[in-house]
Amino acid sequence: MPKKYIISNNIRTLRFFANEMTQQDLAEKAGVSRQTILAVEAGKYSPSLELAFRIADVFGVPIGEVFTCEVKVEEGKK
Amino acid sequence: MSYQEKRSIVSIITGSIILAAYCIYAFGKYQSGLVAPDDLKFWASTILKFIGIGIVAFIIILIIFHIMLSVSIAVSQAVKDGNYDDKEIEKAIKVDMIEDEMDKLIELKSLRFGFSVAGFGFIAGLVALIFNFSAVVMLNILFISFSVGSILEGFVKIFYYRRGLSHA
Repeated sequence: MPKKYIISNNIRTLRFFANEMTQQDLAEKAGVSRQTILAVEAGKYSPSLELAFRIADVFGVPIGEVFTCEVKVEEGKK
Repeated sequence: MSYQEKRSIVSIITGSIILAAYCIYAFGKYQSGLVAPDDLKFWASTILKFIGIGIVAFIIILIIFHIMLSVSIAVSQAVKDGNYDDKEIEKAIKVDMIEDEMDKLIELKSLRFGFSVAGFGFIAGLVALIFNFSAVVMLNILFISFSVGSILEGFVKIFYYRRGLSHA
C-alpha cells in the first residue's frame, strides 16, 4: 500500500526557546526570505535537505529535532 | 505581501496593459478598414513593435517598482526603528528582495504553466489554419496566447505563494 509522508516542524517552539527569535532573524541566518521561513513554519513548503540542515544549524540542534515525519498508509489505493 | 508577490502583480498589470494596448491599436486599425484582412506585413510589424514595447515597458516599470519599493522599505525602517543608517537600510532592502529555493521552484512551476498556455495557443493557431482561417488569425492567436500565458504565469506565482507547494 502507498505511504504518505507528512512532514511537520518545531520551528515555532525552537524560535521561542532561542530568545523569541523573529522569523526575519531566522531567515537572515538561514540565507532565505522571511516568506520562505513563514511557509516552512506553516507547513506550506517542505524545504530542501540543504535548507533543512541550515535551519537546524541556526538553532544548533540535529535536523530530527526541527523536522519530524509521520508516515501514513493510504488505504484503498494501489 | 512579499516582494515576489508584489513583483508578480506588477508583471500581471504590465502584461495586461500591453495586451490591451495591442488589441485596441491593432484591431482598431483593422475595424476602421485601414488594413487589408490579409496584410501579413502589417500584423507582423505590429506584433514585433509590441514585443519591443513590451520588453522596454517591462524593464522601465520594474526599475520604477524597485526604486519605489526601496524607498518604502527605507521609510518604514526609519519610521519603525528610527534607523537612518544607510548600511542597515541597504541590508533590509537586500533581505526583502532575496531570491531563494522556494522562489526558484515557484518560478519553474509558473513558467511551466505559462508555456503550456503558449503551447496550447500554438496548437490552436495550427487548428485555425486547418479550418481555413487566414495566417493573420494564426499570428494573432499565437501572440495573444503568449501574452495571456505570461499574465497567467503571474497569477500562478501568487497562487503558489499563498497556498504553498511541495517538491512532489
